[in-house]
Amino acid sequence: MRLSGLQKVIKMEENNQNTERLVYTGWTFKEVWGYSRTTVVTILNLSIFFILWEIWTSSGGVNPLFLPEASNMFHELWKGLTTSAPPGAVFSGSIRDHLFHSFSNLMIGLGIACVIGIPSGLLMGGNKYIETILSPYVWAMASLPRIALVPLFILFLGFTMKMQITIIVISAVFPIIINAWAGVKTTEKSLLAAAKVFGANRRQLYLNVVMPYTLPFIISGIQQGIGRGLIGVIIAELFGGSKGLGYLIQRSADTFNSALMYAVLLLLVVMSLTLIQLTRWLEAYVAPWRKVEML
Amino acid sequence: MNKILNTKDQHPVISSKDLSISYELHRERTKLIALKNISLDVKKGEFVVLVGPSGCGKTSFINAVAGLVEPESGVINVNGKPVKGPGPDRAMVFQDYALMPWKTVESNIRIPFEFQNLGISIEDQNKRIKDCINLVDLNGFEKSFPYELSGGMKQRVGIARALVTHPTILLADEPFAAIDAMTREAMQAELERIVNQSNQTVIFITHSIDEAITLADRVVVISYRPGQIKEIVNINLPRPRFEQEIKLLPEYSKLREHIWRLVKDEAFRTTKGD
Repeated sequence: MRLSGLQKVIKMEENNQNTERLVYTGWTFKEVWGYSRTTVVTILNLSIFFILWEIWTSSGGVNPLFLPEASNMFHELWKGLTTSAPPGAVFSGSIRDHLFHSFSNLMIGLGIACVIGIPSGLLMGGNKYIETILSPYVWAMASLPRIALVPLFILFLGFTMKMQITIIVISAVFPIIINAWAGVKTTEKSLLAAAKVFGANRRQLYLNVVMPYTLPFIISGIQQGIGRGLIGVIIAELFGGSKGLGYLIQRSADTFNSALMYAVLLLLVVMSLTLIQLTRWLEAYVAPWRKVEML
Repeated sequence: MNKILNTKDQHPVISSKDLSISYELHRERTKLIALKNISLDVKKGEFVVLVGPSGCGKTSFINAVAGLVEPESGVINVNGKPVKGPGPDRAMVFQDYALMPWKTVESNIRIPFEFQNLGISIEDQNKRIKDCINLVDLNGFEKSFPYELSGGMKQRVGIARALVTHPTILLADEPFAAIDAMTREAMQAELERIVNQSNQTVIFITHSIDEAITLADRVVVISYRPGQIKEIVNINLPRPRFEQEIKLLPEYSKLREHIWRLVKDEAFRTTKGD
């Protein structure tokens, strides 16, 4: 029986019978601290970090071009997220517009990477011939620094959204392929043997053993894909484009607006962490046994 | 005990004749002969324990009976028919439990019904699953996941899953090897009870001579590479047996000594040459 701060199970004798009762007890300090310790420490930690940053920069000890005041950065972030560019403007300084562009590109790219990557990885794990044929290309592409391909894609596709999405797909698809592939290959032999002994045919082996076993691998592949894809987004926009967070970083550097640049960087950190945390929760939800094994 | 002796008119349930199994070793361009010319008849209701050093092919034999491995030569018959693959008449208990981690205890035990159509209605399936959970004493853990259970409990799930289809043959590949000594003895007694109750034929692999003597009607000692039957030792101790009790019998130490010598020679061979 789990105890919460508000209710406790109290064993008591009632009419000569042992009964259990939920009793309101209120929160003790120890319980509150136990539940919120990590959050409180993290908030304090980050607050102190930004306060020290603010003190250091506002004391004039550092050129604001290199490091803006933290308050300026947060102000730019707030302004950029709450306001939009006027219609017909040539350039939008609004973070919101660029965030939307980058985020939707990232999602489209990740989606395509999943659609290509998951089946390819599963097929490579499941079929020796496909594996032998595809693996040199997969390893070659996975080990090639993707940034080296950007000029090529610009040549093919120009400074278009197609080019940007292609770079995201190329960045994200290989970790997804490799993880799905590894998941199939590392499916525990004894689970397969057990399934065979209890009558599974080939189709059932794949659907009921290999697939559920591989699912958490695929999710961690997507997790890595998000990190790589985000790099792809920024690279694509830094190289060529007139929209997106990467472009905004470039533009804010060109216009000496360091507060805006730092605001975009902070936003990227938050965005990446949020996406990765979401996949972690998903992983813990679909594969709770892996979490236990990791601990 | 007498069930082995008065089996004149019974066909052997499992019968292997000159069974050889080998594996291709691609890297070394050689063949590993796991088993060579194994001829063994197992009668209905008999409890046969295979002992031998690691790598002697005990598991290969069980896998051949289960239909997971094809013999290179020789025949292996189950109920008079050559083994063509796994079947619902045979079930297996694994050393590392082999439970699907994403399935609850209940749905792990349901696996044999899920994979093959045995013509059993859902109500009967549920009833059998419930009976099996009762049998292995896992009431209240139906909705638990394997990672929430101890090793002994996991193996009880493995046993329940093997028994749920009422197989006539139970194959067990070192099922208690990873379980602590105290739990192991309790589970040995439980297995003996279950098997006697349902008159199942059992082939059981172990490394432990004590376990072999406690459980077996016959102990088959297998030699090291190539795996051949070195000797078959009949165990005529009264049942039910408890390891700690039969250890006090004078026959016990004689049997143990005898089997130990057979296994020891082979075990020492594994450390030479390979």
